[in-house]
Amino acid sequence: MVAAQKLTSDTDGSESAAEPGAGTAAEALARAAVTDERLRRRAAHARSLAAFLPADCILSSPEALRPYESDGLTAFKATPLLVVLPEDTGQVQAVMRWARDASVPVVARGAGTGLSGGALPHEEGILLGLARFNRILELDADKGIARLQPGVRNLAISEAARPHGLYYAPDPSSQIACTIGGNVAENAGGVHCLKYGLTVHNVIALKVVTIDGDLIEIGGQGPDAAGYDLLALLVGSEGMLAITVEVTVKLLPEPPVARLVMAAFANVDDAGNAVGDVIAQGIVPAGLELMDRPALQAAEAFAQCGYPLDAAAVLLCELDGIPEEVDAEIERVSEVFSERQATRLHIATTEAERLLLWKGRKSAFPAVGRLAPDYYCIDGTIPRRQLSHVLQRMEQLSAEYELPIANVFHAGDGNLHPLIMFDSNIPGELHRTEELGSRILQLCVEVGGTVTGEHGVGVEKINEMCVQFDRDTLLQFHAVKAAFDPDGHLNPGKAVPTLQRCAEFGAMHVHAGKLPFPELERF
Amino acid sequence: MNVTSVGEADQSVAAKRELSPAFGDDSARLSDAVREAVSAGTPLAVTGAGTRACLGHEVAGRPLSTLAHTGVITHEPTELVVTVRAGTPVSSLVETLAAERQMMPFEPPDGGGTLGGVMACGLSGPRRPYVGAARDFVLGTRIINGQGQVLGFGGEVMKNVAGYDVSRLQIGAFGTLGLLLDISMKVLPMPEVELTLHHELDSPDTADTLVAMARQPIPLSGSMVQERDRFIRLSGSAVAVEKTASSLGGSRVAESDAPWQDLRERRLPFFDDPRPLWRLAVPDHAPPLTIEGGWLLDWGGAQRWLKTDAAAAVVFAAAKAVGGHATRYRSRVPATSGESDGVLETRHGTPLFQPLEGPMLHLQSRLRDSFDPHRIFNRGRFHPELDNAKDA
Repeated sequence: MVAAQKLTSDTDGSESAAEPGAGTAAEALARAAVTDERLRRRAAHARSLAAFLPADCILSSPEALRPYESDGLTAFKATPLLVVLPEDTGQVQAVMRWARDASVPVVARGAGTGLSGGALPHEEGILLGLARFNRILELDADKGIARLQPGVRNLAISEAARPHGLYYAPDPSSQIACTIGGNVAENAGGVHCLKYGLTVHNVIALKVVTIDGDLIEIGGQGPDAAGYDLLALLVGSEGMLAITVEVTVKLLPEPPVARLVMAAFANVDDAGNAVGDVIAQGIVPAGLELMDRPALQAAEAFAQCGYPLDAAAVLLCELDGIPEEVDAEIERVSEVFSERQATRLHIATTEAERLLLWKGRKSAFPAVGRLAPDYYCIDGTIPRRQLSHVLQRMEQLSAEYELPIANVFHAGDGNLHPLIMFDSNIPGELHRTEELGSRILQLCVEVGGTVTGEHGVGVEKINEMCVQFDRDTLLQFHAVKAAFDPDGHLNPGKAVPTLQRCAEFGAMHVHAGKLPFPELERF
Repeated sequence: MNVTSVGEADQSVAAKRELSPAFGDDSARLSDAVREAVSAGTPLAVTGAGTRACLGHEVAGRPLSTLAHTGVITHEPTELVVTVRAGTPVSSLVETLAAERQMMPFEPPDGGGTLGGVMACGLSGPRRPYVGAARDFVLGTRIINGQGQVLGFGGEVMKNVAGYDVSRLQIGAFGTLGLLLDISMKVLPMPEVELTLHHELDSPDTADTLVAMARQPIPLSGSMVQERDRFIRLSGSAVAVEKTASSLGGSRVAESDAPWQDLRERRLPFFDDPRPLWRLAVPDHAPPLTIEGGWLLDWGGAQRWLKTDAAAAVVFAAAKAVGGHATRYRSRVPATSGESDGVLETRHGTPLFQPLEGPMLHLQSRLRDSFDPHRIFNRGRFHPELDNAKDA
């Protein structure tokens, strides 16, 4: 991660003009000229879009644009030239053709809850908000599917399916707000993906609009489709390849029962090892989550859910299925935890208690937010067997950088979410936080993992991509992008770094004594 | 040396098993061969064991075999992950996993083939509708692209959204987006028990019963119907399977795995019908299709096998009408020299895959270009229109 300030810029007319100008009068004049030019482009683009869009689909005033200047990663901000809020697929197609012909960048956005800056606007582009695509087009319990517009909220799908005894499995923490379109762009996961898979395993069809304005149907209600598996390619493609205008998901039958075991441990190592032991037993829990002491204390203070505050770590392990099966698995899991010296074992006795214990976990992020003025959420995945090692190394790094870290994460699939607590008002602390975050992600790659498990690369992890992938592989990614979007209009600058960017990053971060891309010039 | 013997010798060391990196690694030779082919402008026909030749068109190209690129690279039983070279025989991988009571959940056909062939053809067995397809279990791949570069995508971890999901894209691409070198997969524990029920029906069944069953929280792991015979497989804990079995009724099949093995390997008597074989992938809830011929419903009705003399256009149209697609298998015809096995019919100019059209065709053709700009790999094998529609 580069310092956020570097990418934070705001050359929007009114705001820039209001800022106390530093530098000489000549510089101020030059800035004003740039600003004028930008305002002129904004007005011209708004006019040409108004030729085929209703007026209320185009936002151009500084006040109207401000809510769109960042997504969930608020350290990065930029003001788009315009925000465009189409209401139907035909309008999306028209906007795409216009953007291609006018050579204007397009950044798609759902609810803006993404944590990697994937929906950070482009200063010279339009932000394509899909919030008005918010209808459930079809929910068919017999077919076991729901056909959705991309702006439908994740939780709304399960709520609509519940009367039929069905639900939609992927449940990211932000599910109350995040949209299915954004879930597709990021291949979102959640607590239950250990057993029920990620977005890519639960989406069966998409309708997308290409930069040429073509509407293409991908996948279908059958088990596979003719040609290449474009569904797999588009899920998780971060708005780089096409704009999603419809999503069909499969709905699963709700399990008859779900039961939760909470196990407390005197050290994080035991908890980490217990995770591997459960999986090795051949048990696939519906969820297996770990919280360390700082996270526990924060969550308990926030939700009063009865977590043991003297524990170094707590595991929440949920098992679901038919009652007899779940009972047998609860017993086996409890044995595993006891063998790993669990200091306390507790099985939620009522549904209310089960939900309360989950509430603590699900509110852990905002809870940690109360411990420090700011926190930064990291998202690496590691092989499960490396859990103890990586947790120890993170503790050392935390001490080295003098920044506390709370850990609350999807232990069952090795997806870490360290929360670095910091105060952005202290000069240099954000920068130190980002450097620590980057070190943690590089550690994930070192032990055979990845720099992002479910939040996406966006702008946030673009440098770390250079650590994970070599030159040829990055070039192959760019070639794939070009097959869809040859001139790079869609979400430019995100997800896959240019080689030049990697060269610049490499000059700062020497990895294992070797410069990445030694053949490239240094800048 | 084969994978199985290594697995047996080291069974007790369950924690971590890394075989020698030199074991069966043929990637250097393979990438050299691809680069040479590129500079000479010679197209290649990538082959494994050659057991899937009935799928896809014949390829005119210099054969390049992956058979020497073989072996399990890592198997971490506690991680439920295995990384395997493409030339590894399916049967030996199944044995290696079985030694740890693990399995490939998508239950690929064996047929003497390699894992690379299974993945390139995107083959999944009877368990697919209930646990996922081959592509769902792929975590990472190493490939050689059409410029001879060795590239790595994904990895060995369960969740990974760094970069485009090129690994899953390779599955079912018939080697036209690159030569598969290594595949990392998620594996699962074998179920505690499995049981197969047979129901004799009063009238030929449609998929309706199977579809209704699939919407229930019961441990289904296989379902097929042919005429008046319906087979249902249940997998899971003894208590869950037993409870479901008593509620479903029917007779219990003594060798519970046998019908599924025969289905997966296309050994059931149904497949002996001399008429051409089609696979239709359709929504499980699609109504019965009215093409004249023999039908066998698999995957809860989502994979329908058809033996018919109907024209290709008729089958394609029927599949498309219900939102699915069809694939024709090449038949064996008696060889002129009198070999008993026969040879595969040639199908020049007649489609085996549901034709791609319009913007979709152009997009997929450009995607092929992005991996294999010189069309070195398996030219014409998969959707030949992709190779004919090369954009100007």
